[in-house]
Amino acid sequence: MSIELKNVTKRYGQVTAVEDISFAVTEGELLALLGPSGSGKTTVLRLIAGLETPASGGIFIRGLQVNGVPVQKRNIGFIFQNYALFKNMTAFDNIAFGLKIKHWGRQRVVERVGELAALLELESLLQRFPHQLSGGQRQRIAIARALAPGPDVLLLDEPFAAVDAQIRQELRQWLVRLHQDLKVTAIFVTHDQEEAMEVADRIVVFSKGRLEQIGTPREVYETPRNEFVARFVGVMNVLELEVRASVARCQELEFPAHGLADGQKLRIGFRPYAVQVSGDPAALRYPAVLRRTYFLGIMLRLEIETPGGLVIRSRMSKEDYSRLDLADGRPISFQIRAYRVLSKEGDPLANEVAATHQMPPSLGEGI
Amino acid sequence: MNPASVPHSPLRAAPVPLPEQPLAKWLLIAVAVLFSAVFLLLPLVNVFYQAFSSGWALYWKALSEPDTGSAIRLTLLVAGISVPLNAAFGLAASWAIAKFDFRGKTLLLTLLDLPFSISPVVAGLLFVLLFGAGGLMAPWLEAHHLKIIFAIPGMVLATIFVTFPYVARELIPVMQTQGREQEEAALTLGAGGWRTFWHVTLPSIKWGLFYGIVLCNARAMGEFGAVFVVSGHIAGQTDTLPLRVEKLYYEFDPAAPFAVATLLALLAVATVVLKAFLEWKSRRET
Amino acid sequence: MTRFCRILSVCLALGAAAHCAGGTISLLNVSYDPTREFYSEVNAAFSKEWKARTGDDLKIGISNGGSAKQARDVIAGSEADVVTLALAWDIDALHEHGQLLPADWQQRLPNNSCPYTSTIVFLTRHDGKIKVKDWEDLIRPGISVVAPNPKTSGGARWIYLAAYGDALKKNHGDAAAARRFVEQLYHNIPVMDEGARGSVTTFTQREIGDVLISWENEAWLVMEKIGRGRFDIIYPPRSILAEPPVAVVDKYAKAHGTEAVAEAYLRFLYTPAGQELAAKHHFRPELDAVARQHAADFPPMELFTLREVFGSWKEAQKIHFDEGGIFDQISRSRR
Repeated sequence: MSIELKNVTKRYGQVTAVEDISFAVTEGELLALLGPSGSGKTTVLRLIAGLETPASGGIFIRGLQVNGVPVQKRNIGFIFQNYALFKNMTAFDNIAFGLKIKHWGRQRVVERVGELAALLELESLLQRFPHQLSGGQRQRIAIARALAPGPDVLLLDEPFAAVDAQIRQELRQWLVRLHQDLKVTAIFVTHDQEEAMEVADRIVVFSKGRLEQIGTPREVYETPRNEFVARFVGVMNVLELEVRASVARCQELEFPAHGLADGQKLRIGFRPYAVQVSGDPAALRYPAVLRRTYFLGIMLRLEIETPGGLVIRSRMSKEDYSRLDLADGRPISFQIRAYRVLSKEGDPLANEVAATHQMPPSLGEGI
Repeated sequence: MNPASVPHSPLRAAPVPLPEQPLAKWLLIAVAVLFSAVFLLLPLVNVFYQAFSSGWALYWKALSEPDTGSAIRLTLLVAGISVPLNAAFGLAASWAIAKFDFRGKTLLLTLLDLPFSISPVVAGLLFVLLFGAGGLMAPWLEAHHLKIIFAIPGMVLATIFVTFPYVARELIPVMQTQGREQEEAALTLGAGGWRTFWHVTLPSIKWGLFYGIVLCNARAMGEFGAVFVVSGHIAGQTDTLPLRVEKLYYEFDPAAPFAVATLLALLAVATVVLKAFLEWKSRRET
Repeated sequence: MTRFCRILSVCLALGAAAHCAGGTISLLNVSYDPTREFYSEVNAAFSKEWKARTGDDLKIGISNGGSAKQARDVIAGSEADVVTLALAWDIDALHEHGQLLPADWQQRLPNNSCPYTSTIVFLTRHDGKIKVKDWEDLIRPGISVVAPNPKTSGGARWIYLAAYGDALKKNHGDAAAARRFVEQLYHNIPVMDEGARGSVTTFTQREIGDVLISWENEAWLVMEKIGRGRFDIIYPPRSILAEPPVAVVDKYAKAHGTEAVAEAYLRFLYTPAGQELAAKHHFRPELDAVARQHAADFPPMELFTLREVFGSWKEAQKIHFDEGGIFDQISRSRR
């Protein structure tokens, strides 16, 4: 089902939690609301649910404004960060709660709960109380409870924040599969960009109560609209440069800066994959030492340090790593293949995204 | 840390043990045990000892006196009115304070503590000044032939005043640790406010509520100061159990005041046992 | 919710029922501390008589406490049909501060509305360690005396006035000497309880002090209840004639429709039956016939009245007990 927010603002006393937010969710979509804590993403979710009322702006579900519709009437399924299971009820009674409110007959309730228990592999747990269940099990019961009355939209508040890393991975896959099977519109809140990238069809990035960007994971990652998005989604190396004689420098690292005045300061950023590394200390432009290697599954993250003490992060596959015969502590050389200018001092559009500059291969001779 | 896996009691969070320091530990335990034995256990035992010092027959005679019987009935009546009222009020106040933000919340919290900080005797005098002859409400009361002070309504009012905070004070922390999520979950599932209260809120705070009621009741039945001021001290009519004990003590009867006091002591023991049971129960169910 | 309302209304009805005592006539006697035993017998006897006379059930409530406090409660709305207090001044207060009865209330019943009198005596421990015979023995250094506080207790005022009056007489009317005497006396009193009963308890149960100054009837009550072997009553050669008066509280009695029964109740105290009960509880009977019969219980001693030594309660109150009076001055010099 389609949901639309038009210029929605929410304040708590003097504090503006959400300011002038507009976006639309299409039918059957799995949308992530991404942002650091305090960015307003949970408030947006609660506004959609009807747990909060906006100070101004409109919330539309299937084209109808629902500002005045109470939470009970919005037919939503809400999954809380800490599950919010009814602790005085068994798992069965938790799942059946919404059905009993709808006055379903006993037989239908048992059938529906059984159906969901099968879907979420909860059959053996139905007579347990929440305190007898693990975090992951509780989360699945919370999902089953929210799904039971057949909601039009599923709203999930940091659904995986409170479970162990391994279970979190499992639950993410659950969510993707559930979404595919049930074709229910789902919106979930997360502060974990990796989770958003992995699970969502589209991502809405929030910062300080404002919507920064909305797009597919790829769009957000590859063409971030500003420095905040660029830095929050994925890893980015950021350098502060100062211009001298048409060259912008940060210690030994140099970037062309034609037409800029001396003393001008600017910030540039580059993704780890744009940092090319060689095992030969003289092969590439800058010498450095490989300080530390982090194993992230099939990819590795490298922390390299220049003689001046700058730490730069790079990224490569295991195969490349062994082909280059790298090891912690070894002298290497590197170069930066692509970067973007994030902001210039005194520039009123400081957060405006600049085009990616390809580094000329003959940079060394150019300066 | 994974917050959901931390076990917590709705009544009291489990203490974190300090690193072992044998000497200090045993010294502290010894002081605590000795102190409670001398100041708590000994007087309690003495009450029973004195009560039975003249034999069972006199004990029963003291308890079966009509004036003592009426004191028991009055005590039950006063507690029977003031405890349910304070339970209802405490529930409402703690809900408002724990779950909503509103202007004047601090003021309400401060007011709630007033009966704790005011001497019960002063509290009683407040009612005398308000409802007594020449008091603020006197003309109205007289016009309607209502008698408050030096009669049972005044004693109920005074008791309500001094036992006012017990339920609310017990429930506020419980409700605050519960948060609003369970109730919000019920709302998102379509439940109305009333249903949410009966099926979600009340069951999750019931042990805390019972505990508050038990404390409130113990204080209501044991209250002396405020009730002393507003009671007419009419034997068999406006004497509650504590007032009866005081009166008997001044009648030079060696066993009777202690015999009646055993009833209050038993109430205290029952309260402590119930309290322990409720704490155990609430811990088990979390 | 409806169930709760129903329970509440039942509770309130019960409370109301308990108060009106189910349709019988009820009478409330607000009295001072040492009369509980006496009036519980009077109430039983008079109820019986009233039932025989009129056929009505009569339930008489008795409230005991410090005389001044009881008077304050009555003024504040404790609706006594009759008051039987320790001294006339406290009943005067009902007129002055509440207009609850007329100024001339004391003329309405015989003997200035005092159906019985009493006096102030000493109680010592039977061990005989401390020997006292007369008032001046109480000011010996090292002796510890127990008496209630005149600021709050009616009995205590009689005690103070007895001591002062005796000293005045011994010193041929020298007020300065009398004042010195009470000052020395109160220096020997380490604790002053709020009421007469409290002092008795302090002396007998808590075993504080060598001598208790007390109502005559209280002293006898101690002898009877706690045991003759433990204490001795000492009659000083001279003491005050304490006159505890009684009165119908017109305003409340009128409101309750109990004027007749209230007056009959008080008049009963003057009958031989009432007087016998007073004598039995060691109040000195007003009726000569009864007094003669019990002469052995009340050893002869010189008794002076308040009127002859102090004029009136108003004067006594003003000079001795009011804020800044002699009692306040000697209390301050204690510290």
